[in-house]
Amino acid sequence: MDILANFSQGLLVVLQPENLMYCFIGVFLGTFIGVLPGIGSMAAIAMILPITFYLDPTPALVMIAGVFYGAEYGGSTASILLNVPGTPAASITAIEGHQLAKKGRAGVALFSTATASFGGGIIGMVVIALLSPFLAKLALSFAPADYFAVILLGLIAASAVSNGGALKGIAMVITGLMLGTIGIDLTTGVTRFTMGVPELRDGIHIVIVAMGLFGVGEVIASIRATRSGTATQTVDYSDFYPSKKEWKSLFAPILRGGAIGSFIGALPGTGQTIAAALAYAVEKRVSPQRKDFGTGVVPGVAVPEAANNSATQTAFIPTLTLGVPGSPPMAIVIGALMIYGITPGPRLLTEQPDMFWGLVASFLVGNIMLLILNVPLIGIWVRLLNIPYKYMYPTIIVLICMGVYSLNNNVFDIWLTLVIGVVGYVMRLFRFEPAPLLLGFVLGPLMEEHLRRTMLLSRGDPMVFVTRPISATLLAITALIIVFALYSTARTHRRALAARLGSSRKEQPNEL
Amino acid sequence: MNYKAQFTGAVMAVAAAMTSTAVLAEPGAWSDEPVRIVVTFPPGGTSDLVARLLAQQLDTGFGQKAVVDNRPGAAGTVAADYVAQQPADGTTLILSNNAPFTISPTRFKSLPYDPIEDFTHVAYIGASAPGLFVQPSSGITTLEAYVAQVKETPMTYGSSGVGSISHILGEAVDAALSVESIHVPYQGSAPAIQDFRAGALDSFYDMVVQNSDMIEDGEAVALAIASPERNPQLPDVPTFREQGYDIVIENWVGLSAPAGLDPALREKIHETVLAVFAKPEVQEKLTDLGITHVAMSSEDYEALVSELIGVWAPLIEAAGIKE
Amino acid sequence: MNQHSNDPEDNGQAELAIESPAGALGWGGEIGGVLLLVLSIIFMVGGWQLGLGVPTRLGTGAFPFATGAVLAVLALAIVIAERKGDGLAETPDWIGLLAISASLAVFAIVVDRLGLVPGVFATVVVASLPDRNLSLRGKALLGIIVALGCWGVFIELLNLPIKPFLEF
Repeated sequence: MDILANFSQGLLVVLQPENLMYCFIGVFLGTFIGVLPGIGSMAAIAMILPITFYLDPTPALVMIAGVFYGAEYGGSTASILLNVPGTPAASITAIEGHQLAKKGRAGVALFSTATASFGGGIIGMVVIALLSPFLAKLALSFAPADYFAVILLGLIAASAVSNGGALKGIAMVITGLMLGTIGIDLTTGVTRFTMGVPELRDGIHIVIVAMGLFGVGEVIASIRATRSGTATQTVDYSDFYPSKKEWKSLFAPILRGGAIGSFIGALPGTGQTIAAALAYAVEKRVSPQRKDFGTGVVPGVAVPEAANNSATQTAFIPTLTLGVPGSPPMAIVIGALMIYGITPGPRLLTEQPDMFWGLVASFLVGNIMLLILNVPLIGIWVRLLNIPYKYMYPTIIVLICMGVYSLNNNVFDIWLTLVIGVVGYVMRLFRFEPAPLLLGFVLGPLMEEHLRRTMLLSRGDPMVFVTRPISATLLAITALIIVFALYSTARTHRRALAARLGSSRKEQPNEL
Repeated sequence: MNYKAQFTGAVMAVAAAMTSTAVLAEPGAWSDEPVRIVVTFPPGGTSDLVARLLAQQLDTGFGQKAVVDNRPGAAGTVAADYVAQQPADGTTLILSNNAPFTISPTRFKSLPYDPIEDFTHVAYIGASAPGLFVQPSSGITTLEAYVAQVKETPMTYGSSGVGSISHILGEAVDAALSVESIHVPYQGSAPAIQDFRAGALDSFYDMVVQNSDMIEDGEAVALAIASPERNPQLPDVPTFREQGYDIVIENWVGLSAPAGLDPALREKIHETVLAVFAKPEVQEKLTDLGITHVAMSSEDYEALVSELIGVWAPLIEAAGIKE
Repeated sequence: MNQHSNDPEDNGQAELAIESPAGALGWGGEIGGVLLLVLSIIFMVGGWQLGLGVPTRLGTGAFPFATGAVLAVLALAIVIAERKGDGLAETPDWIGLLAISASLAVFAIVVDRLGLVPGVFATVVVASLPDRNLSLRGKALLGIIVALGCWGVFIELLNLPIKPFLEF
């Protein structure tokens, strides 16, 4: 295998000063823009797009890629510190990350995510280097039926993301699914639930849902303490770094997250959000610390980061080798390539080996740069938490408004965020969690699209789900998971019942 | 002799002469403020790239600062509605394809703007033509063979969305051939092509030139193109017209401004834009994007838009996408 | 059991991750279920009107109806379960809700008419209105700082197409 040779060639390409510089610019820009809530990689990439016209394809691509995974990393910083996800995928990181910050362990959270992102990025890179042709072919053999099965699996995982009880969790996922139907039905072109409002034609933008549910809802919930002056958000400087045990506990989640993320990211259209959710759900089942999930656990914050960073990298595979963008920023990448007269497609690997391998090698360099850039910043970010919340929260509101407004320059979006923010606060009051809703909202329309398309293509034959090997396998796995979940719930109930009926009235103290 | 009529006629002749000399404007910057080019698609799409190309050229070639403002959504109506309300001083332009002006007015019951009254159409940039592609494994190489096959068993075809050019072409072809195919809409052409490659789709409609790689690699067979004449880049692909079906459907790209734009300003913008697209390297980039540039006057462009609304209306109704 | 807590130590931050949080109201949990039920019925009705189609060729309304139906069942289950539950997580902070909602509304209204800088200023001031620990002057100062900061970052640095000041 001359993969090593290709990779070394790519390394030589990326280590040229021009490429190095643009890699740095991309990563730098991406990180800072990603921190700003709502303004994700899209805005950043759109911003540097004009610059790419003056560049050759390789540095341009390297820079765009840097922005992409830099923004993903920056997004997690905001979600840990403020519970305002900078990107939708970061909302999973927020689950454990913000709990850690509330316990005064923001530094620990940030170190964990930095390491996890780096680890995930490296895994993603290795996967691309070794498996690109295989993954490209795999993506090609995915028919709508198979996509449906993957997304269904993702939805089951989304229900498992909830920490507050399965019933409410599933209800939230279904609610998200339901709200996702607002907008134009892609299969028939008819508008649904838009109540005549033209801005709702394309549905509610996911950034608005994320900002409203997480950001605005969180601020409303947190103001009370500020007003009465009892809020304390401390940083425990003695607990700044993860303990040795915690460093060690990062290893397995990073591997798991990176693996899941690489695979999911390579499937066009599935995206980093699904990768992060799936990884978190799996970790909850598998981690030795699973009982503590939801209270701020290091593996819980690391695994979604590893997953979404590796997904970010492998998302380039379908983009470059198939020309199918997995997400809007990838569409920009394709567009940029087309301006250079480079058509993404299976030919790209053979026709543009320098560019492709330069890009792959740039993932290594870029991730190292991210690490070097961000680790010293952790101290600064954490100091940000010492700013009294009374100054922070109006600023957060403004940042949310800016992020939302920058989507379409339309104040309607702000009003919508307001409504959703109120909903988010109400949800908190009733202890409904926003994360499963967000996931349902993202996955629902996808699932419906693929289900109906499968039916169209098979001319109404539902057996196609079982006859296609990929979908049959995935559906079988999903069924097994459901059965197992039901079984273990039944078992716990039986045990609880037995314990109550049994002898001891003494309650065992819970030893932590 | 009617002196009044003669006199009026003479005045009008002089006025015409005066305005036509004013038409010879020099290409160059027309506004001190940066010009906003509103685009109907998100960043990365073809029109977005054309807009960015134009903006860059305006800046470097003529010192006219220009920024691209993406306002995607609702088949271009969001962007068009916004631009219609802007002041007509040349600082806001919209780079659109035919959707907001020739398709949406028929397709949607009510639009907040009128495609002719509320806009000044400034410059036509170019067009690209869609065509029909089938699986190489089907063994079909001519439209005749396609017709024979489809009459027996309906085929599935992919489009880039309900109400898209590819969908309308698909319906038009069905109507002309008296067949019924199964329309499978996607979000954009890329996922459709992906399913086609995976073997799940029997056929698809998309811009022909942009898929020339697939044709060359033998991964797709192009049966016909919906342009008036064969495309010079793909001379082997016959047109629908020459095979006996008068189907001409093209996706064009053009620049427009809010209504009431000063005619002199309109001419200046027109000349400048045409100067940009006259450059060989720019034309090359356009061709790479699959767009064939044609130079046309503003008046002709305006007339074309009106004409096309009428041409597309029956197609849209036939496609059943009228709301 | 009524766990109504006016405990000043309770910093009012709803802890979602742990069941039975401190400060829970002890009543009202069913309302959440009812709200969900109402929402689900809306979508069921809407979905029905859009047409359900047949299982092999699902209509436009199939998904909304189906998800609405499942949610309705779950919502009923939640109402029943919450009877014995801990109720609302905390007493609703109406003032906070109003302040933040108003600040968002102010942003929407002012930015379009007066531009970014006045808009951000107004938003900050309105959002911080209920804060008794910050003087009015302090709020205004914060407003100015954040507004100028936004101008610098979003307009100058990021080139977002927003105008800092609009003539009225």
